[in-house]
Amino acid sequence: MCPRKRKPPVTPPAANPDGWAGFTRRAFIKTWSAGTLTLAVGHNAMSSETAQPDETLAADEPVQLTLDVNGRPHAVLVEPRWTLLHVLREELGLTAAKSGCERGECGACTVLIDDLPRYACLTLALEAEGRRIETAEGLMDGGQLGQVQASFMKEDGLQCGYCTPGQIMAAEGLLRQNPEPTFDEIRRGMSGNLCRCGAYASIFSAVADAATHRKG
Amino acid sequence: MLTPFAYVRPASLQDAVAALTEGNAHIHAGGTDLLGCLRDEVFGADRLVSLAALGDLAGLRETRDGGLDIGAMTTITDIAAHPLVQRRYPGLAQAAGEVASPQLRNQGTLGGNLCQKPRCWYYRGDFPCLRKGGHKCFAVNGENEYHCIFGGANCFIVHPSDIAPALVSLDAEIETAGPSGGRRLPVSQLHMPPEQDPTRETLLKPGEVIVKVHVPPAPAGLYSSYRKVRTRRSWDFAVAGCALALVMDGDRVRDCRVVLAAAAPIPWRSPETEQVLRGQTLDDAVIRKAAKAAVANARPMTKNAYKIPLFEGMLLEELRKAAQV
Amino acid sequence: MADNETDIEGQPRIAPDAGAADDARPWGEQTRVVGNRRPRVDAWERVSGAAVFPSDLVLPGMLHAAVLGSPHANARVTAIDTSRAERMPGVYAVISRNTPEANPDWDYFSAHSGKLFYDHCRFEGDAVAAVAAQSPYQAHDALRAIQVEYEILPFVSDELEALKPGAPEVHSGGNRAGTQTYARGNIEQGFSEADLVLEQRYRTASEMHTPLEPHGCVARWDGDSLTVWESTQGVYAVQSKIADVLKLPLSRVRVIGHYVGGAFGSKLRTDKYAIIAALLARRVNRPVKLFMTREQTLLTQGNRPPATMTVKAGVKKDGTLTAIQFSGIGASGAYKAGGTSLLDWLAKDLYRCANVSTELTDVYINAQPARPFRAPGYVQCSWAMEQMMDALADGLGMDPVELRLRNIPAGTQARDDKPYTTDGLRLCIEQGARAFGWQEARAAAAQHSKGHLQRGVGMAAANWYAGDGGPPSTVIVRLYADGTANLNMGASDIGTGTKTVMAMVVAEEFGVDPDAVQIEHADTGTTQYATPSGGSKTVPTEAPAVRRACLAVKSQLLDMAAQQLGRPREEIVFDGDHLRTTDGLESLAIRELDRLRKQKVVVGVGQRQSNPQGVSITPFAAQFCEVEVNTLTGEVRLLRMLGSNESGRVINRLTWDGQLIGGITMGVGYATTERRVLDGPTGKLCNKNWHDYKLPTTLDVPAEVISEPIMLTDEQANIVGAKGLGEPVTIPTAGAIANAVAHALGMRLYDTPINPVTLIERVAAREA
Repeated sequence: MCPRKRKPPVTPPAANPDGWAGFTRRAFIKTWSAGTLTLAVGHNAMSSETAQPDETLAADEPVQLTLDVNGRPHAVLVEPRWTLLHVLREELGLTAAKSGCERGECGACTVLIDDLPRYACLTLALEAEGRRIETAEGLMDGGQLGQVQASFMKEDGLQCGYCTPGQIMAAEGLLRQNPEPTFDEIRRGMSGNLCRCGAYASIFSAVADAATHRKG
Repeated sequence: MLTPFAYVRPASLQDAVAALTEGNAHIHAGGTDLLGCLRDEVFGADRLVSLAALGDLAGLRETRDGGLDIGAMTTITDIAAHPLVQRRYPGLAQAAGEVASPQLRNQGTLGGNLCQKPRCWYYRGDFPCLRKGGHKCFAVNGENEYHCIFGGANCFIVHPSDIAPALVSLDAEIETAGPSGGRRLPVSQLHMPPEQDPTRETLLKPGEVIVKVHVPPAPAGLYSSYRKVRTRRSWDFAVAGCALALVMDGDRVRDCRVVLAAAAPIPWRSPETEQVLRGQTLDDAVIRKAAKAAVANARPMTKNAYKIPLFEGMLLEELRKAAQV
Repeated sequence: MADNETDIEGQPRIAPDAGAADDARPWGEQTRVVGNRRPRVDAWERVSGAAVFPSDLVLPGMLHAAVLGSPHANARVTAIDTSRAERMPGVYAVISRNTPEANPDWDYFSAHSGKLFYDHCRFEGDAVAAVAAQSPYQAHDALRAIQVEYEILPFVSDELEALKPGAPEVHSGGNRAGTQTYARGNIEQGFSEADLVLEQRYRTASEMHTPLEPHGCVARWDGDSLTVWESTQGVYAVQSKIADVLKLPLSRVRVIGHYVGGAFGSKLRTDKYAIIAALLARRVNRPVKLFMTREQTLLTQGNRPPATMTVKAGVKKDGTLTAIQFSGIGASGAYKAGGTSLLDWLAKDLYRCANVSTELTDVYINAQPARPFRAPGYVQCSWAMEQMMDALADGLGMDPVELRLRNIPAGTQARDDKPYTTDGLRLCIEQGARAFGWQEARAAAAQHSKGHLQRGVGMAAANWYAGDGGPPSTVIVRLYADGTANLNMGASDIGTGTKTVMAMVVAEEFGVDPDAVQIEHADTGTTQYATPSGGSKTVPTEAPAVRRACLAVKSQLLDMAAQQLGRPREEIVFDGDHLRTTDGLESLAIRELDRLRKQKVVVGVGQRQSNPQGVSITPFAAQFCEVEVNTLTGEVRLLRMLGSNESGRVINRLTWDGQLIGGITMGVGYATTERRVLDGPTGKLCNKNWHDYKLPTTLDVPAEVISEPIMLTDEQANIVGAKGLGEPVTIPTAGAIANAVAHALGMRLYDTPINPVTLIERVAAREA
């Protein structure tokens, strides 16, 4: 009996019921989509009827856009300065990506953008539109852990767990690019994520284990 | 937390150039350096001009002359991983591969890497330093272990790029677009020496955007390499680096460029080293002399004299490696 | 409260609990669950992203707060104007010294008193004002709009400068925060008996904790009751501090800390942020989230103080230590905060030596107060003492392992020679050296060196004074009718695997899988009292209490079985999840007990008993390291490390090894990359981010880390036979690395950290 495996994911508390933070008194909501961008880079374009990509968005005027997060479109209202990390955590309630430094110096916020690991804290939400964003929540199949997650569990590639979802996304991205990494490739691939608890050696084992099992 | 800014994502290069000329606008390419600077309030931005919609600016293409064009929006990862770069310009591939962390290489762009701001902790911190329009360089009497040993004059930063020295060593050029049209400029002339203007890092004019970098064809016998020493082995800027481009004729150095990273406020070409090497066989006596020549004219600050033996030792190691090929 | 004896935390010891079996002995050799490699019981939550850390929490109506800190090393606040900030979009409240009703008394540590927003900010980052706003962006916008006038005062930021005559005074009366001396034997006679005497000064840089989850909390009021979700090592410690500062009854303050994203000693207590969050939340009558920015955590949320240590040691030709003289200067920071806490313990306790004298000087400087940091004092002292031991061995022409083995004490010399309960130090050194292949590696180092790549092999050993644990702790275990269990304890799991270890203890007792144990913990509202998780005392403190609670349940189950089977209690024993008669004729599963099925639940209470008197329960460690030093660049590559630990019984081998791996990583940072830099001319922190303050990455740690536990049960320690591990695993690391580098180079570096910046000049000077 192993009840944990079947446990459904806990839904983090819902976002602010007062409505969109800071926008309660605003009359207009601008909808905007990056039509040109999606053509240019050729990823999963999201449809929008109001593509005005080269119009300047005012600093204090929120704009509505659609983010593709874990395979689902999410309509969100953002300020130009809001980072993807802020939107994921505070607006969408997806808190696997952690806030450790908000300056691209720890990796706790690592997500995949079009399969590549990136720091959500250094990515403007506006820049993430039209791209495939994946967080650790998105690796789950219902309550079932993804392979990388299962390997981190098995090899204890963690301690406090705060950097862990970011480590897992870095590993996932590494293995998508390089399904059979050498030990040195694992070390290099994971070198953009700090773990202050220092679980690196166990993380190497976890990534190697995930690589082995993904093949099968 | 970032201060407020307006945002525009022009659909054409022309529009981007136009958008950059109005008000206090900054280019958003990968954003990795820009957002850090905005968070630290190193400078403010009324408006960010995103180049994300300019798909033409990304990618690597072999040119007719056998050289390579690299779009300014090409990510560092794509440069490091490109087979042509790895084969013909291993020094460039190594430099790109040593930049920052995997995530930052996936996001950071070539143009952004060339135009990045220095990492000096006074500049990035809340010190009103010369580069930010203040009246002095705080490093002079302060904690200057990571500062320059060449070319300081009034501001003693080191240029943080790994890629720029590699490109200088390969005699690469940039191509720009700007309000008054585009131009070509050697990468070696892109960066602003502080004695000319300590508040700017490049000679680009307002509204001028790097479009691409052209790397000339690799001459027969080209040996290129990039070596980076840092206090931690990943996700760190160089405390010393060197890009070598040696054109070998058998075991004789026909021509060469030696460019030091983290030595000066700009990528620092070492004519002294080149002069020793040029025309010589790479034996140990020449190598020793060349390595020594690199630091002969260095002017260390109070806490960075270690860079002298470090650059010398690193060059010894790198030139010996080159001699073994 | 049975007596007035206090343990190391200053907590009163309590009487043995009633109800649990008093004849409880440690488990025997055969255990079913304990000792296995067991993935964490909460691994699913941690790897799926489902775990809600305090910084993840979003409550209905919640506002975001931010704190404005002084930008100066030492300054007096002469005026604050918050009016513009108050009018900014989304801003709900601004508090500062201008809001006396929201400016309670605050003392950093007992020796000083002041206000939360004090006129005199003696270190950069100390709180000047705070804002609550709708979004974090708006909160920070408002901070920028607050106008503060400062009178900038002279400062001192170096502990040696601070002691010089005429240095600016952090507090009037001089910069000496405290002095402490210790002596045994006759130091002069000790030196006169020595064949070799060496003296050397060592310096260790200040190291910052910087856990990945910043320090902070979410505060919410329900009427006059306050609930705080805080990233903490100890919910009860947070509760008492908040109640104390806000003058609230303890029963009106509930603190919850189910997950904590790293701490390392920096979250043992709370800080101003919890008070500020509570005050703002009360002012706006909405929940308030306040987490420090990363920069603020580096400025204000803890450091291992810098230390300057001088060691003079004498040794006879046969390796007998005859005298150790240790003097250490450490910096508390701007308030008295243990700047030399435990700094001399390894000098006076680790190796046998009859003549020892130590002197400690704690110093005020204009920098944030120190905090306990994973083996406070020990890590600094190990850097000095272990290098001195190797230097003595070199001087005698003796193997460093051999020298240490000749000076193994039988007991704790610094605490009345109480005998150790194990021969752990010797076992760690001997078994570790064997497993590492010490002699072979040491002999082959020169042969493996190629040109400018020089191999070296080094080692270091350690003990830790607080790995015994002790009262108080109360734990409740409930057994459900289906044989599964609920464990209720107040302790935090700071990532060390506490919950998993405790679940394994319960599982061992009830014959179930650890996954069948539901855990409630770290909540002052619903779970039992526990001291903060720190000091390597969580397992030895809590696990015996957990086991006693289980035994209290089992005692009741025995009565039920006796009644049901009609047999005397003495004839019934437990066998996994069954009870059977000693004659083997009758057996029934726990869940088949009629009484249990009717009653639905059996409750057992366990309390931590006092430790045995007259002995010292101490964990031991030794680490071995092989490095390659590039003499042209000063780069040090760590090739492999082995850690051998004697911490009594291994309960979970998987998280045990994880502790060692983590301890070594942290020691690698101390030895090679980490160093706080305070600007000479301004006293401001230069490296207030993770680019400039460099934690080790995956490429900095050794490619190979081997865990070599000493497999024994410390029968005298407690009823689980386990001692603390979290600190012993990091104490010897930096010293072992320094010794390996010295072996490679034939010369020593006495200051941390060792990297190209600090190494190459020395090497080059020698080559020239």
